[in-house]
Parts: sequence; structure tokens; C-alpha cells
Amino acid sequence: MSQKPFLLAAEGLSKSFDGFKAINDLNFYLDEGELRTVIGPNGAGKTTFLDIITGRTQPDEGTLLWDDAKHDLLKLNEYEIYRLGIGRKFQTPTVFNDHTVAENLILSLAGSRGIWHSLFGKITSDQRDRIAGILTTVKLADHAHRKAGALAHGQKQWLEIGMLLAQEARLLLVDEPAAGMTDEETYRTGELLLSLAGKYTIVVIEHDMTFVRQISQGRKVTVLHQGHVLCEGPVDQVQSDERVMEVYLGRKSKAA
Amino acid sequence: MPSQPFTGRVQLPVLILAAVFLVVVMPALNAFGIIENFTLNLWGKYLCYSIMAISIDLLWGYTGLLCLGQALFFTLGGYMMGMHLMLMIGKLGQYKSELPDFMVFLGHTEIPAFWQPFYSFPFALAMVFLVPGLLSYVFGYLAFRSRIKGVYFSILTQALTYGMALLFFKNDLLMGGNNGFTDFRTLLGADLRTASTQRILYICTAVLMVAVVAGCKWLTNSRFGLIQRAIRDSENRVLFSGYATANFKLFIFVTSAMIAAFAGALYVPQVGIINPSEMTTEKSLEAVVWVALGGRGTLVGPVVGAISVNALKSWATRAYPDLWVLILGGTFVLIVMFMPKGIVGLPSQIQEIIAKIRRRSLQADPVQPAISSETADP
Amino acid sequence: MLKSIFKTLAPFLQSGLQLGVAFSLIGSVEAREVSIREMIASATVAKTPAEQRQIILSLKSNPSPEVVKWFDRWKSGEIFLHEDSSGVITPVVLTGAAAGDDSFATVRVSDGSPLLAVDSSAVRINPKEVEFAETDSGLRRAMREVADLAALADPDLSKRIRAIQDSAIGQKSEKLPELQLLLTTEKHPKAVRALEESIAIIQLRSPLAGERVAACERLGKLNSLAAQDTIRTILKEAEAAKDLPTAHAAKTALSAIEGHISRINAAGTVFRGISLGSVLLVVAIGLAITFGLMGIINMAHGELIALGAYTTYVIQNIFAAGLNLSPFGISISIPGMNLPAGSMGMYFVVALPASFLAAALVGLLLERAVIQFLYRRPLESLLATWGISLVLQQLLRLVFGANNVQVSSPSWLSGNWTVNDVVFGWNRVFVIGFAALIIVVTWLVLNKTSLGLLIRAVMQNRNMAACMGVRTERVNMMTFAFGCGLAGLAGAFLSQIGNVGPSLGQNYIVDAFMTVVVGGVGNILGTVISALGIGMADQSLQQYLGNPVIGKILVLGTIILFLQWRPAGIFVTRSRSLD
Repeated sequence: MSQKPFLLAAEGLSKSFDGFKAINDLNFYLDEGELRTVIGPNGAGKTTFLDIITGRTQPDEGTLLWDDAKHDLLKLNEYEIYRLGIGRKFQTPTVFNDHTVAENLILSLAGSRGIWHSLFGKITSDQRDRIAGILTTVKLADHAHRKAGALAHGQKQWLEIGMLLAQEARLLLVDEPAAGMTDEETYRTGELLLSLAGKYTIVVIEHDMTFVRQISQGRKVTVLHQGHVLCEGPVDQVQSDERVMEVYLGRKSKAA
Repeated sequence: MPSQPFTGRVQLPVLILAAVFLVVVMPALNAFGIIENFTLNLWGKYLCYSIMAISIDLLWGYTGLLCLGQALFFTLGGYMMGMHLMLMIGKLGQYKSELPDFMVFLGHTEIPAFWQPFYSFPFALAMVFLVPGLLSYVFGYLAFRSRIKGVYFSILTQALTYGMALLFFKNDLLMGGNNGFTDFRTLLGADLRTASTQRILYICTAVLMVAVVAGCKWLTNSRFGLIQRAIRDSENRVLFSGYATANFKLFIFVTSAMIAAFAGALYVPQVGIINPSEMTTEKSLEAVVWVALGGRGTLVGPVVGAISVNALKSWATRAYPDLWVLILGGTFVLIVMFMPKGIVGLPSQIQEIIAKIRRRSLQADPVQPAISSETADP
Repeated sequence: MLKSIFKTLAPFLQSGLQLGVAFSLIGSVEAREVSIREMIASATVAKTPAEQRQIILSLKSNPSPEVVKWFDRWKSGEIFLHEDSSGVITPVVLTGAAAGDDSFATVRVSDGSPLLAVDSSAVRINPKEVEFAETDSGLRRAMREVADLAALADPDLSKRIRAIQDSAIGQKSEKLPELQLLLTTEKHPKAVRALEESIAIIQLRSPLAGERVAACERLGKLNSLAAQDTIRTILKEAEAAKDLPTAHAAKTALSAIEGHISRINAAGTVFRGISLGSVLLVVAIGLAITFGLMGIINMAHGELIALGAYTTYVIQNIFAAGLNLSPFGISISIPGMNLPAGSMGMYFVVALPASFLAAALVGLLLERAVIQFLYRRPLESLLATWGISLVLQQLLRLVFGANNVQVSSPSWLSGNWTVNDVVFGWNRVFVIGFAALIIVVTWLVLNKTSLGLLIRAVMQNRNMAACMGVRTERVNMMTFAFGCGLAGLAGAFLSQIGNVGPSLGQNYIVDAFMTVVVGGVGNILGTVISALGIGMADQSLQQYLGNPVIGKILVLGTIILFLQWRPAGIFVTRSRSLD
């Protein structure tokens, strides 16, 4: 595995906010095609890590390289990182409320992001088909012309995943996709992510252990604690790790 | 409750009819003496203001950028045209000199180098676009690059306008100081003081306005328009969708500055005077009132707002000179608070209220409190 | 008891003195023991002009303001020469009011006692009928010499220094001995410095090269501004005369003085910068609360400032003769208390809280009527408050008229204070002190009162505070009113240093907003630093460019560039939410 070039390699990342170390000497390597789940208690630095990858936050130190070290992500801004093929679904559903579902997808379609193209570019029939396909995948075909703001919470989450698909990203960063969903919706979201595994490289951040078990299926799980990688491995191994039980799962399993 | 575009509400035939009325019928009626020259001239002024209002709406209503410097760009365009008109006065001025009167008054004996090219009309016309365009480009580049937005952008544009007005009030700038430019005679050989020249200028303004409305309609309906509105609602999300939002904002900022400048260039020969008091933040804010009153986020709204407020102003400043400002200020506060969609949005707002009342009377159980709309946005 | 004995004895004592004086005059003993009045009296009746001059010049040994006063009376013909029936001439001055026959009571010049005729009745004279003591030019010159000396010894320090500095004019070497003599007795360091300066300036003209060089060195060391032009002349002359040592010394002295001047200018610029910064601070501090803490863009802030200034105006008039206003055709007459001018200074003490309350009250009304609906819509709050500012401004115009009104400021504000040649105007010192006071008050309110605690809690997390039982609505109301009250205070303050008109606030509003933006929203300390920084930058550029408008525009440009580097201002408040 390690002979393969890394898609994303983070080394020695640190970031503190007013003295609070959100990320502390974080090392994280991701292979092309992986579906990685990242878990960790609140304040473990999961969202901050995604912020650093997507260019929203600059780390204090460390390196972050993309695609076999071809690009230094820390030197790029948000939209340049996006254009390398890194898409993100935010923790709280973040869609364009005033636009219709279809318009949301149009805005996310892969292709030129220039002003000229936005003025004079026409939507091709291929793209139209693609939007229809995605609408079916995320089960929003009936809502294509509704305002995104009028969708239910779970539907917004799905729409945002649909926007990631429209983007044709190489890496999907999915922050708590199951938050605020019913069990059934959560399960379907898991199915959707699994169906995408292999086609895309996916990093999922999640709290819900049932959901983590569903999507990890023996794949590698990374546990973050106090901004640092506590351990990595298949979900069973991670769950039996004493340190993990102590800081996170222990409490969780007691509660369950 | 996100503001919605209401362009669909006003049907295309109505728009075309209105356009034909403004471009063809009004000047025709004037030519036959049914509409007085004064009235037509007044309407020419209103239409110039309407174009400026559209340019504000393009920024504010569609992109969420409240620019308090639109009057600056409008006036700059006017000044560029004014420089040409001043040179066209030639020796007809009070001092019978080739130099504009104010230069003679300041003791100059030669026309300054930067004035020389303005003898050429095409050059002046180019400057009408280039000077405000360049200023807005430089300012916009700096502001958007450092991600200044929302009220900060407004405050900075206010400061820019304030600074520029200070500059233009100075005599050393050789732009006429306090008094600005006035006493124009001819434009392209036509005597500006004749009704026929004024009629042609009016027609140009009306045509420009129709063109600007049509152009903006196309722009806002393109994918660019989608991105524009997306920036207004959640700029960061657009950034995380791979768009360099700063470039989009810069493009629309410069475009709207140029539109305003063109309107200013048409305004000057019709009104016959341009001075730095037109440049102030208050003038920009007044224009924002027109947009707010007419209905922002629509293309018809700014036109309706600009014409109605100015018509009201023309009447009220004569009928109630002291109270006029109170009326304007008071109306504005009420509109901002109770009519966020303006006049154009009034029908739909009334419909909503009626629907709400009906729903209430239908439901026997207690109505749930209205959900605060603002919190829905991330 | 003792007092009464003294009183009864007094006439005898006086006559005894007189005897002594007469004796000493006759014996021409030391003039010092003779009173000044005696000397003047004897001078007026001296027989020849030469004798008169001699007596006058003898006063040189004891120059005092009293001498000068008597000279003035003499010169203006107030000393009359009364000749009684036996031909004795007595110099007298008039006293009291004119009687029916235009005659006045008289007192002796020599001792101030009433002049009595032989029959012990008071002598009254008609000034038109009696000769007065005259002066000729020689006498006046002598008087002038004594007066100059008297000025040099004037007990009032500033007058004394002025006289010392004047003595150097013309570089007359005959003044040197006097000055050098004074140098041995003068105690006050400032006067000593002035003496040294004047002596050195006169010595620049010394025939001895060594003395000239020493004088140059001395003046260089003293950083003498007064000597600058003289040294330049000396330098030119020395160069022309190939007097190299003097030329060299003059050059060194000049460069020392020029260095001093540039230091003075720098200090003056810093001082003016701080005072302009303080004005900005006072004007912006209310905004730092309403905009910085609450996120409300209050475009009516300027009008609240104007309101504060007008409140001061009204209070001032209530203390004086009252005020007549006629808004909307209704005439309102506010009675005045007609206080005497002395207690008028107190009006400002009353005006301060009054202007705070007036603006705070209007702020409270605004918050309830308009702003409470716009807390989450900053752009809308900007527009609505602009509408309000139009209304308020027009109301002020209708009530108080479109022209500026007169607000008098205490006379002491026009004085100044000089340290090391740097002039500190009292008005600027007042500005700085006032700003410091307001900052301290604001800091105390925010950090040491329960209201402050609530304000900070609500501003940091509105929802959380609400959950914890804080009545956020009330806190919003109070915070906004507090911010507006500070605007009112700023108005009271501006009324003291400038004109008061309906558009008073408009002149400051842009600067105030820039100050808060540069400072970083939600941070009082940032506002303080940015106000001082902007004030400093403005004054330095003005000093450097010599053009206030260009300076101002450059400052605006600099602010825009500054925001490139720190878009969120000097102090950044971080947040993790996406928008």
C-alpha cells in the first residue's frame, strides 16, 4: 500500500486558536480510492482539519501535499483547491437556499469557472442528462424546481452530496452526513457513499458509530483526539483499542 | 424569507409597451407640442437616474454589494463629458477666452495638458467609461482581494466617495472646484439650448435605458446571474464551489460603475451643470432609496423607484420645501422596515398577507409563530 | 486693641517719615531710602530739565512697576502743579468725582495725603485752570531707560522675560552691563535662560572675535530660536569678512538650532496628532459600541452628535438670557436664568450629562421604534438609520435654523502652555483629557458594572445569553442608548472646539466609521489605537505635504491599503461559522 503514491499527505500540521490547540502535530495519509472514516470526540479537530484541507484555515505549521506531492495545498486558496478536485460537504447543510435544486447542481457542475463561460456558456445536453442522473441518485428528481431552502433537512444533506457528485471531484470530504437524519435516511446515505467508494476517494467524518460500521466495512478508520491521530485501523480493532475506549468509545459504549 | 426575483411578474409585452412609450411616444408628443419641453427634459433626467438606479441594483439587489459610491461614478462620467462640453464653449464664455471661464478666473493662460485630448468627442466618450472603470477596478480589486464585504464594503465606498468629493471641491484639481462645469453651448455641433437637441438627448437616454434593462435581464438570467445571486446569499459556499468570487464581484462592480458613468455623461448635457455636490455619499444613498422603494432584486423596480421618488421630489420641494426631507427620510425608514420588496413586490407581499390571514382563519388550532427567516442561512 | 493704637499713631508716624524724607533729600543721602512717590514729586518740581533727568535716572537703581506707573501718569498730564498763595508748588493728582464747578479733590504726589490749604480745608482744583507737569523729549528718554530696566525687573515672570528678550533687539552693547548685572541677581531659570540668550545675541556684535565665537556656541547650546536670523546675518558677514572662526561657530550653532526646530515640529505634530486622534476617538467611541459591539451601522450617529452639541447650546442659553425658537411656525420661548458671566462657566458641567441624556433618549426611541427589528440585517439597518439621519438633521435645521449657532467656550481654552519651545494649546490639552475621560468611563461601564457584563455576554453570544435568562432585549436597548449617549457627549465636546450646525455630525461620520473599521470591530482598545494612529498619520501627512485635503485623501488610501493587510482591523475577532 505504501508504495502507491499518496493522494493526500498531511505531515506535522498544527493550528491553534487563541492558545487552544485545535490541531496538534497531525499526520494523515490518504490513498487514491480509499473510503476513510474519521471519528473523534467533540473538539478533536475534525472540522478544523477539513478547514485546513479546503483552504478555509491556514495551519501554523506543517505540510499538506496533494496528488503525489504535485501540489502544495497550503499555497492555494479555496477555489484553487476546489479546482484540483477536492469537494466538501459542510457539517450544517450549506446549499443555495434561494436557488432551485437544479440550479444548485448547475452551479456545481464540473467545467470552467470563468466569467466568460458563465456569461456565454450553454448547458449541454450531456450536462442536462448528468443533472437528471444525479437528481435520481440523491432522490430529488421530483424537487428539481423547488427552492433548495424549502427542502427538508435530510434532503438538503443529500442535495449537498449531489453537488459534490456534479463537481466530479477526486476527493469528497463529507462532514457528518448523517446529522439530523432519520435512521432510514442515514442508512440510505451510507448506501449512497458505499456506491461511490472506489470511484472517488472519500473522507467521512462521523459521530454515529452504527453509521461508521455500515460504511467502513473493514476499511481504515482514523481516530482523532486533541488534534492528533490517536490510532488507525479497521473499526473493530479501533474499538477495542484501550486508549480509544478511554477517550471516546469507552464512554460511548457505556452509554449504549 | 429570501427575497425573490419578481421579474416574472411584469409581463414582457408590458415592458415592451413601456419601452415604446418612453422611446417613441414621449418624444413624438413633445415634437407635436403636447408634452412641454420642460417636462421632457425632466423625464430625461429621471431616466438618467433610473439607469444609475439599475446599476445600484445590479450590485446591491443581485450581488449583495451595497455601494455608496455609485453617485461618484455617475458624476465622474458626467465630468468627463463636461470637460468636452467646456472646451466646446470655445470663446463664447464670459471671458471670451479659449480657456474655460474658471481657468481664466484662476489665472491660467493655457489649457492644461490633461484637458487637451478632450477636444475630441470620441476620446471624451472613451474616458466616460475608462476613468470610472479604472477607479472602480483598482478600488474593487483591493477591496475584494482582502474579502471586504457587507457593511464594510459600504463604509469603504462611502470613504472613497468622501475622499473623491473632497478632491473635486479643490480648485487645484482644475476641474472647476466648487462650481464645477456649467454654461455649456454645443455638443457635436448641435446647440444644447434648442428643444430638438434636447429631444435627441432624451431619446438617447431612453434607448440607453431600454438597452441597459435588456442587457441586465440577459446577464441576470445567464449562469452569471445564478452565481451573482449565490454570492449574495452565501459567498463562502460559492468560493467552496470553485468560483473565484472576487473576480465575479470585480466584474459586476466595474460593469455597474460604467453603466452609472454613461448615465452621468447623458445627464450633464441635459441638466446643463455638474459639480462636486452631486458626488457625495448622500446622493448615492438617495439613489439607494429609489432602488429600495421600487424593489431591489428586480430590473423594473429601480426604474419605478427612481422615477416616482424624483417626480415626488420635483413636486414636494416646491410644495413643502421644509418638509420634503422629512418625507423622504420617513418614507425610507418605513420602506426598509415594512416593504422590503418595494413597490414592485407590493402585490406579492399583499397576496402573502392575505394568504396568511386565510390560513389563520381556516386553522382552528393556535398558529405556530412565524419562523425567523434570517436564522435559516448558515 | 493694638490696631486702634496704630490707627491713632499713624498720622504721627507718617509725618515723621516725611520729615526724614525731606531731610534726606536736602542732604542728598542715598535715594533708595526715599519713597518713589517722593522722588517723582521732587522731579516734577525740580528747577531745570537737567536736574529732572538726574532725579529720574537715579531711579534706575530701584526700577519697579510703580515707577513706570507714575511715569505714565506724568506723561499723560495727570500730575498737576498746585501753587498756593505763598508760591509753594506742590505736585498733586486728582481724586474723587467732579463737583458742580468741575473741581476735583487732590492728593499729594509725594505721599498720597490730601492737600490742605492753610485753613486746613481741602484744596480742590479745576484741571482746566491749573498747570500740569510737562515732559520734554530728554525726560521721556530718561523715563524710557528706567522703564526698560523696570520691565527687566518686573515681578511678573512672563513680562520680565518678554522685556529681557526685547532688550536684545538692535544688539546694543550698552545694554550689556545691565543684563549682566541682572544675571547675578535673577533666580528664575527661565529668566536666567532669557538673559543668557539676550546677552549672547548682543555679544554676536562684539568687536572681539573670541567673544563672538563664544556667543555663537552659547546660542547653539541654548537652541535659541530668537537668535536664528541674527546668526544667519552674522554668518554671512563673517563669510564676507573671511572671519573663519566666527563663521564656523555660527554654522555649528545654526545646525543645532535647526535640529531643535525640527524636533519642535515633530513634537508639535505628535501633539496635534494625538489631539486629532482624541477628537476621532471621542466621535468614534459611541460607534465602537453600536457598530463594533452590536453590529448596527448607525448612520444617524452624526446627527446624535449634533443633537448633543445643540443640547449644550440650549443649556448655555438657559444659563444666560434664554432662547427663542420658532419651529413649524410655533414660537417657543425658553426662559433664561440670567446668571452672571462668572458662573456661566458652570453651564458646561450641566451640559455634559444633559447632552448625554438627550442623545441617549433619542437613541432609546430609535432602538425601540426601528433598530430592534433590524438586528440581523446590518445593510438594512444602515439604510433605515440613514433615513433617520435625514429626518433628525432636518428637524434640527427647522428648530434651530440652518446657520451655525454660537456656543461660547470657557476663556481658558484659548490659552496655551509652552514647554521647551513646543506650544501646547489648552484647547488641545482639553481634547486629549476629555478623550481619556470618556475612554475611562466607557471602560469602567463595560468592565466594572453589571450592565457591562450583560452587554459583553449578549454581544458575544446572543442566544446563549438569552438561554441563561438575560433579558437580551433590554440589554440591546441599554447598549444602544449608551452608544448614542456617547455620541451626545461627543457633541457637547465638539461644541467647545468648533462650529455648531445641523450638519456638524456629517463632517465626522466617515472618519468615525473608518476609525472603528481599522480598529477591528468589537474592540474598544483597537478603536483607541486606530484613532490615535489615524490622527497621527493625518497630522504628519499634513505637516509633510502642507495640504490638509491631499493629506486626508492619502489617509483614506492608506486605510484601504491597511485593510489589505489586516482585513478585519487591528484586532481580529475569530468565528468558526461559515458566513
